[in-house]
Amino acid sequence: MLLQIDNLTKRFGGLTAVDGFNAYVDEGEVVGLIGPNGAGKSTVFNLVTGVFPPTSGRVFFDGEDITRKKPHTVAELGIGRTFQMNLLFADFTVLENVSASSHVYPRSSLFDMYFNTRRYRRNEAEISDRALQILQLLGLESYKDELAKNLPHGYQKMLGVARALATKPKLLMLDEPLGGMNPSEIDFSLQAISNARDSGVTVLIVEHNMQILSLCDRVVVISFGQKICEGSPREVRENEEVISAYFGGKHGSA
Amino acid sequence: MNALSRFAADKTRSAGYGILVVAVILLGVIPLLMESLYSLHILVMVFFYVIAALSLRAIVISGQFPLGHAAFMGVGAYASGMAAKWLHLPPELTIPGAAVFTMIIGVMVAVSFSRLRALYYAMGSLFLGVAIIQILNAGGTWTGGYSGFSGITPMFGNSKVSWYYAALGLMILSAAALYRFEFSRIGTNMKAISQSHLVAESVGINEAKYRILAVAIGSFFVGLAGAGYAHYMGTIATSSYNFMATMWLFMYVLVGGVNNFFGPIVGSFILILIPEYFRSLKTYSPFISAGILFLFVYLMPGGFAGLIQAAVARVKSWRRERARDVAAD
Repeated sequence: MLLQIDNLTKRFGGLTAVDGFNAYVDEGEVVGLIGPNGAGKSTVFNLVTGVFPPTSGRVFFDGEDITRKKPHTVAELGIGRTFQMNLLFADFTVLENVSASSHVYPRSSLFDMYFNTRRYRRNEAEISDRALQILQLLGLESYKDELAKNLPHGYQKMLGVARALATKPKLLMLDEPLGGMNPSEIDFSLQAISNARDSGVTVLIVEHNMQILSLCDRVVVISFGQKICEGSPREVRENEEVISAYFGGKHGSA
Repeated sequence: MNALSRFAADKTRSAGYGILVVAVILLGVIPLLMESLYSLHILVMVFFYVIAALSLRAIVISGQFPLGHAAFMGVGAYASGMAAKWLHLPPELTIPGAAVFTMIIGVMVAVSFSRLRALYYAMGSLFLGVAIIQILNAGGTWTGGYSGFSGITPMFGNSKVSWYYAALGLMILSAAALYRFEFSRIGTNMKAISQSHLVAESVGINEAKYRILAVAIGSFFVGLAGAGYAHYMGTIATSSYNFMATMWLFMYVLVGGVNNFFGPIVGSFILILIPEYFRSLKTYSPFISAGILFLFVYLMPGGFAGLIQAAVARVKSWRRERARDVAAD
């Protein structure tokens, strides 16, 4: 088990955003965490990556308790993440975005960086090679010298994936990778994500767009902060409770 | 990058080095050409303020706006001056000592401010700067209080020419040391944090560590500049380190161009030398400074260095076009 979420609860004042949530991700899997708007998906995401601490419950990654670890430590341990909003190093080029994100691997010490040691130069050469490979994998290599802020929305999202891959993660967590995209951008992104999966990384995708199901081995459905269903994409698609959570009321009455 | 653009980049880089070497040689021979000791005095001041402005920019690139930065110049100045005067230590020892002392104070502040961002950080550092000035004012005979601190141990027998070369050397060394920070991954990480601390953290960059490091570097060099300046002047007063002084440091950085390493150097020269040139106009001199500021902010939002960069980019694209035409023929 690569990631284990154990009885996780988060309250914001009187609002219980996540309520005793359990889930796991095995190595090599692509798991979808889906649910309607406001179900608590992104909160789970931020709890796992350490953006804020949970009220109770624990998170284990690769056998280690990461419950109250800081985001940069979580990244070091091997979780690469993207953001729902397009957060970028806006004034860096696409290539610089990816190479700046290769801080964790390969690692240089402050001493190496300042005195430009042989190890630092070797690491930097490896980083620029890897950055180009990642851009090729995601189909972004023709934009490499473009400033990140000038990219179209969909490509900015994929740049987020590229940045997360640059940290050489064991687990890639994508927060609504298809949010706000037009159909052609969705096709491009689905292809890019499946390329990333084929490169051997485990993926956890948070999404409310059901098109993501085509990529998933297993799907967990969350509604009002609780897990309501778990199974293969087909099982989930036919589940009564899921349909009523998405469309409201009983099946057929929507 | 194709062969042609790499060639162009190499050429601009070597042109840049050329300009740098010429500038250093020019500054090196000025004392031989110039009779006026007063002009040398102004240039020594410029050199110290270049170090201070560069140190400010070292903090600014990490996304922090220390509105009390000049107060840290005061910390360096008073620390070195007091250690030399009251403890009778040699200035060769107290100047680097004061720089380290300023750095320690800076790190202590940075640790306690490491959760403050943007406006809150600016406010915090502003009040801290005011507090430092008040403490120095309240120092009685130890700091000279409001009437200023005088009798600071002189160096080089007060020879202007010796001071000129010492300050020039200190400026070049400091600039070289800061240049390495900015153009290694350390500088990249700081710039990454300033663009988005959330993204930087998500790729494993420890925000607090790099912000504290930026302040440590900045405080060390501003303390160094302050200490050197104090021994050069012999007399200092807290009014040189107040909020207005910090604003002037920001001006040097902004007018020179905040996005360019050489911006603060150019900015300090322009903003100190031009008002000096118009000094004979007495009361009207501040108006000229203000006018220059307006012109810069209005006409060159990227600062002076931004203007040069734009010019270089234009020459490059012109050269590329010409190469394409030649290839087409």
